[in-house]
Amino acid sequence: MPELILRLTGVDIGFAGEEALVHEINLEAYAGEVIGLNGVSGIGKTTLLRTLAGLVPPLVGELEVLGQSDLSQLPRGSIGYIPQRLGLVHHQTVGYNALMGALPRASWWQTLLSLPSGEMRQAARDAVEAVGLSEKMLDPVSLLSGGEQRRVAVARSLVQRPRLLLADECLGELDETTSEAVAVQLLSLAREHDTCIVLVDHSPARTAALCDRVLNFRRGRLVEDEPGLIRLPMLGGDN
Amino acid sequence: MAERGPLSSTWLMLRKRPRLLTLSGLGLLAIIVAVHLQISGPSLAQGFDNLLVILAEAWPPDFSVLTNRASWANPPCNFESDVLCSPAVIGLVQTLEIAFLATLFGMVLSLPLATMAAHNLSPAWLSSAMRSLLAAFRVLPSLIWALLFVIIVGIGPLAGVLAMTLYTIGYLGKLQYEALEGVGRQPLEAARAMGLSRAQVARYFAIPEASNSLLSQLLFMFEYNVRHGSVVGLVGAGGIGWYMQYYLAPFRLYDRVLALLLVLYVTVVIIDAVSLRLRRRFIESDEQLRRPTWRGVFLPWKSD
Repeated sequence: MPELILRLTGVDIGFAGEEALVHEINLEAYAGEVIGLNGVSGIGKTTLLRTLAGLVPPLVGELEVLGQSDLSQLPRGSIGYIPQRLGLVHHQTVGYNALMGALPRASWWQTLLSLPSGEMRQAARDAVEAVGLSEKMLDPVSLLSGGEQRRVAVARSLVQRPRLLLADECLGELDETTSEAVAVQLLSLAREHDTCIVLVDHSPARTAALCDRVLNFRRGRLVEDEPGLIRLPMLGGDN
Repeated sequence: MAERGPLSSTWLMLRKRPRLLTLSGLGLLAIIVAVHLQISGPSLAQGFDNLLVILAEAWPPDFSVLTNRASWANPPCNFESDVLCSPAVIGLVQTLEIAFLATLFGMVLSLPLATMAAHNLSPAWLSSAMRSLLAAFRVLPSLIWALLFVIIVGIGPLAGVLAMTLYTIGYLGKLQYEALEGVGRQPLEAARAMGLSRAQVARYFAIPEASNSLLSQLLFMFEYNVRHGSVVGLVGAGGIGWYMQYYLAPFRLYDRVLALLLVLYVTVVIIDAVSLRLRRRFIESDEQLRRPTWRGVFLPWKSD
């Protein structure tokens, strides 16, 4: 039985003092699983991811990651988060951004002196190569295209190797080829490193093709699609 | 129908023209304040007469300050060349040195304080405390800091460096925390979700992301410190101001003071122009943000 990574029990999400955006979320997710979240804009997808990342507390209910309800007590680097706008350091290089994934396992003196170990540098080089950006290792992220920037964000997660990766529309606005390339890298994290991935996307076809389970936001609830309804061999666009 | 008095009709006319009402109010307030400060026409006329006397004595400027050796320089000048040891060159170089050290020390000390003062990087209690501390450094202008340090460490450039450093911490710190607060939420959230410490988030995400603004502010602060470095000299804290004060107080050699002022003016104009050009490189390229480098700051033509 794979390890239980994420458990939500009766969780309401939203902002304090306002009505909950989504009610009564009950969900369990396991290592190596890829879960897709579908829904129209403004329905609470990003808020759910930010709640899972520990950035917004749940309004009610219990959230556990790796059996821990106080997420600040988790080992550093357990959670990876790729926000909608990727959260990269735009003035820095591709290599720098990839290396940031290794920061959670850096010792205090490596952090203080900015001296990453050989293993960390190699991991960053490997990740950048895996997403096909080796030739742009020293280019500032701000000079890359949107698709390349998304690949940098994935490279950072490859270096980090989190137990739970939360990706917010990380495949949106990409052409089919790039979307597929980025998705392959995400899947390799799940398959090779047993990372549980929660992926927000507004394309049902893409989530159906990519994810093991798909959940939909409907009338303030999170409803799971029946398994195996749609399985597409290749990733595609919205149609 | 009763006829309106002149006051009443003036008031009605003013109410119909709000802009005129505002200007009249401001003019009236200025007159009241001037009367309170006992500023009068005769005292202004007297001042104008004095100005003409000083200008007559100052013109033409005596550029011997650029060629004559200042044997009384503090600290003493050991160069052979008289020009290099002239009051203008020594004073100017000292002013630039004071500004450089004050900007450097001020930046090194203000950046950690600014990260603690930024709302998006620190808990509310810490950012409030650090903002108060930075405000305290700004309460006194650099001239008053210089007066204090002249008393504490004596006359000379050290007092200038210390005074300008403290003022730089307060002023630059404020600019820095505002720049850090302008950093987008998403890089910081990605870093926090990873479980990174506040120091790591600031050091590796917020500061690099704000680096364009931070570098631009640093150049602006250097330029500012050169201008103010000449003022602190007037109270004995070194720099070109100290030499101006030397000519002003005992000898009233206004022609030499004017020459020093012109030398300073030309220098400040050059530094302003260079600084503006460099800062533009960081703040006006929104389309393709450049990665700032020290080479780019000091050797801008290399990366053109």
